[in-house]
Amino acid sequence: MNWFQLSAKKWRSLIQFVCLFCVCLFLVVSCSNRPQTNAPAVNVPAGDARITIGTTNKPRTLDPADAYELAALGLVYNMSDRLYTYEPGSTEIKPQLATALPKVSEEGLTYTIPLRQGVVFHDGTPFNAEAMAFSIRRFIQNGGKPSFLLADSVQSVTAKSEYELTIKLKKPFAAFPSLLAFSGVCPVSPKAYELGAGKFKPNIFVGTGPYKLAEYGTDSLRLDVFDKYWGEKPANKGINVQILSNAANLFNSFRTKAIDVAYLSLQPDQIRSLEEGAKKGEWQAVSADGSVVTYIVLNMNQAPLDKPEVRQAIAFMVDRPLLSQRVLYGQAELLYSLVPKNFAVYKPVFQDKYGDAKVDQAKQLLTKAGFSKENPAKIAIWYPSNSPIRALIAQTLKALAEKTMDGILQFEVNTVDSATFFKEIPNGIYPALALDWYPDFLDPDNYIQPFLGCNKWSAVKGCEDGGSRSQGSFYYSDRMNELISQQRREQNPEKRQEIFAQIQDLLAADVPYVPLWQKKEFVFVHNGVKDVKIDPTQNLVYRTINK
Amino acid sequence: MSRSRALQYYIVARLLLAPLMLWTITTVVFLLLRATPGDPADAILGGRAPESAKEALRQQLGLNLPLWQQYLNYMGDLLRFDLGTSLTSRGQNVWEVIWQYFPATVELAVCSMTVAVIVGIGVGTLAASRPGTFLDVGGRLFGIITYSLPLFWVGMVLQLIFSVQLGWFPLGTRFPTTTTPPQGFTGLYTLDSILTGDLSKFFTALYYLALPSITLGVLLSGIFERIVRVNLKQTLRADYVEAARARGISEGKILVNHALKNALIPVITVLGLTFASLLGGAVLTEVTFSWPGLANRLYEAISLRDYPTVQGILVFFAAIVVVASILIDIINAYVDPRIRY
Repeated sequence: MNWFQLSAKKWRSLIQFVCLFCVCLFLVVSCSNRPQTNAPAVNVPAGDARITIGTTNKPRTLDPADAYELAALGLVYNMSDRLYTYEPGSTEIKPQLATALPKVSEEGLTYTIPLRQGVVFHDGTPFNAEAMAFSIRRFIQNGGKPSFLLADSVQSVTAKSEYELTIKLKKPFAAFPSLLAFSGVCPVSPKAYELGAGKFKPNIFVGTGPYKLAEYGTDSLRLDVFDKYWGEKPANKGINVQILSNAANLFNSFRTKAIDVAYLSLQPDQIRSLEEGAKKGEWQAVSADGSVVTYIVLNMNQAPLDKPEVRQAIAFMVDRPLLSQRVLYGQAELLYSLVPKNFAVYKPVFQDKYGDAKVDQAKQLLTKAGFSKENPAKIAIWYPSNSPIRALIAQTLKALAEKTMDGILQFEVNTVDSATFFKEIPNGIYPALALDWYPDFLDPDNYIQPFLGCNKWSAVKGCEDGGSRSQGSFYYSDRMNELISQQRREQNPEKRQEIFAQIQDLLAADVPYVPLWQKKEFVFVHNGVKDVKIDPTQNLVYRTINK
Repeated sequence: MSRSRALQYYIVARLLLAPLMLWTITTVVFLLLRATPGDPADAILGGRAPESAKEALRQQLGLNLPLWQQYLNYMGDLLRFDLGTSLTSRGQNVWEVIWQYFPATVELAVCSMTVAVIVGIGVGTLAASRPGTFLDVGGRLFGIITYSLPLFWVGMVLQLIFSVQLGWFPLGTRFPTTTTPPQGFTGLYTLDSILTGDLSKFFTALYYLALPSITLGVLLSGIFERIVRVNLKQTLRADYVEAARARGISEGKILVNHALKNALIPVITVLGLTFASLLGGAVLTEVTFSWPGLANRLYEAISLRDYPTVQGILVFFAAIVVVASILIDIINAYVDPRIRY
């Protein structure tokens, strides 16, 4: 049929039909009950004691052997159990699927772990030592993103008996139990998963946790309570996770009550606005010290940063309260060591030795090192172009130096795309850079060894292989390496704490990094929703939330 | 040669050109992705993985092969309709990704186009039928404003007004998380809910579609309004229209029955190409409204340097545009006898 050859009469009837259809549709829509949705007009996010959580963090995968980002790990954490876990607000591990802390052999290489009985997977398969051994082997052998965490340290995993697991390490590692609390090191059903390089299941999850995956959509997930869960049942009837593409939508969805809880990732100005609303009682704000550390890397291979006086002068000049206020509206905990305050071993060495905004001492050191207004110490600071926060850090540092250092110390701010930025860090092309560190596991070791450890060193190139090269500082110290090895071998917590104190003292003396702050994490919750907690690994704990 | 025989030759020629167009596009996509900075091994394993693991992965994925060899492998896979597996959601086939996200894009595109066509043609016709009046000037202004306004900004403002302030429309999703979406084979929630006979879900799906599709549709309507207004004005000055007036036919009938039909012919081309580009991803709309469509997924894949997914989605989009442009050419040739081929 050629539509353009319709007669006037047919055209008229077609138009009449369309008009009539529109009128009918309008009447039906207007007269029918408004759909029960999460729309703001309804303002009842979930009337059945299910909790709706909004986030911009979309999980890349739900396979625990490949999950490495907060989004995926947060979901895996809530749908799984680990051998060990953390209490919210504490960095001390406690048994979960293990029934006790591991027995460690004298040489520190063999860990024997007794396991809980009566646990079943979401698919009904019973949990035992074989299933746990399978899951750990799978974590290592499938070659997922976090596989190196265990591959670097684990020699073998065996089921000694039905409910006893033995793990042999390649070398002593006192922080190993913390690694077992990593969300991805959770048991998965051997019936649902396969062992083998690259064999991942990104869209399913079959673990032992209090929630099972009911639905995984393109922008949402539904977690239902697992009725055969061995432990305490969740305080809610289930969780809906709504994934939004940007922070503005998350912010607005929360304000319109389309979601009960907003967590990760709001912009600092949105957090400030929601905090003000919380103060007025419009909703609640829950905050906790995060585990992410922000710091400046100083490349010791590049002049003038090869001179300790210049690095120390920067440590003196940095004004953390001002930087935190300008960059994050004060939504951070100022940090004076690379180890966050959550750990008992934290020692505020940079506060004791350098303080904040001590510009006179900074100038004295630079003058002593031969710098002046005519011959200034010029340092290029770099950041990835997709990070507005790090851009602000670099710009504020530059402005601070211009204002206070009388031209003796000058910063030049540069940016590059993030792929190139991170690729080039180990090649040492950046003199100074602003970085964030997301820990892999919660132990002070994870804030020390990846920054200060070095396996191979030369006088010309500095660190050639090791953590400090990966971070871009190229720091090397025999004493530091020795201390790191000692703390890794030491099983006694008090003695380990002493070693960490020495490490932090040495860090403050050599200044390959200047720690700035550890981020605070914020969760915003509507009134009536209770018991919202964040665990120390930044995971929102779903099971306690209720309304 | 008869017109129908010529038309057949034309169609065959256009179809034969399609593989060439697709090959050009896929080659450009392949080369551009290789030219962008960043190592897929870094993207997959992360910066903290040991170099030995990254090297092993490069070998496994064939990333250490010479570029020409990678290209041949890529083209070989494409010829077998194998778009590969996602690098980030490892284990997931790219076709799965496409079929999972494409229905949302189709649904948004269809609804937006419906709005755009109704508003664009309506305003354009009104403006052209009253030359020199307030309506004409208003129509012209409408066309310019809607054409020039940035979509992400309008989207944000409309969300603030209609969702946050007035609470009329929902925000940031395709279907409420508290309700199970309609289950059906098409993945189009409106269609699936009708097929399953669930009118409540049909209206819910429409309700969630409303704001994104009206925003996109109204902004696109400017294009149609301008074309319709200009063409209709010209047509209304044509001799055959004058002849119709001389015969005493009313202005309304002349407009609807004689002038509008001819004035709409150029609209087909624009309509087809706009629709194809919408199916090819209204990235800004989808990201602004958190619409879980394929363009939104492409945006994520680009930011995660998931090369197979980016390549696969782009090739899929390119195929849609190529097919759509061929269809438009054929339809144009069919409806407009003035076209020579």
